[in-house]
Amino acid sequence: MVKTERVEVIEPTPGNAWMIGAVAWFVPGLGHALQKRWIRAALMGGAVWFSFFIGLQMGGHMFDLSASEGSSTILQVPPMIANIGTGALYIVSWLLGIGFADDPVQAARATYEYGNTFLLIAGLLNYLTMLDAFDIAAGRKP
Amino acid sequence: MRHFLVMCLFAAIASVVFGAMAKDDNRERWLYGLKVFAEFIVIGLALGWLLYFIPW
Repeated sequence: MVKTERVEVIEPTPGNAWMIGAVAWFVPGLGHALQKRWIRAALMGGAVWFSFFIGLQMGGHMFDLSASEGSSTILQVPPMIANIGTGALYIVSWLLGIGFADDPVQAARATYEYGNTFLLIAGLLNYLTMLDAFDIAAGRKP
Repeated sequence: MRHFLVMCLFAAIASVVFGAMAKDDNRERWLYGLKVFAEFIVIGLALGWLLYFIPW
């Protein structure tokens, strides 16, 4: 009886893929656009941008490490990680102070929680978009 | 009604991304995106009714 051995060859990830991944995180959709995947860039990046702005429009709130009244800093971390997924959108909003204020009037809006959800989802969807762009750049996906 | 529309919007956004990144050809992507959209709506409505009957 002949034994056969399967040898898996693991190819190193090209450095370009890491750069594409970082760009895809920073500007939603740009990772695909740089690889000339225009439709994917428009659909996936567009969904993230749209979700982010509709979330802001609904009066949603983004999270950072500053604990609001009655909550602890550690509880802010998971939603903050989701929010950070939007990359430059989060950073620019943070620098401009848009969407970070603890405003009771804003929190009383009927769409406040919806807005929060859309902002969280925008970040999480952009993580998926980033991984997709990375996989394409690494040659793991057609 | 507005709540339902917002849920539909949410489902549409998520299913566009899921559909775009999954599967191998466009037809399968469309079908998968529609399936994910329908699942979001059906499960959302089911959970809504379930929570309606829970008093706390």
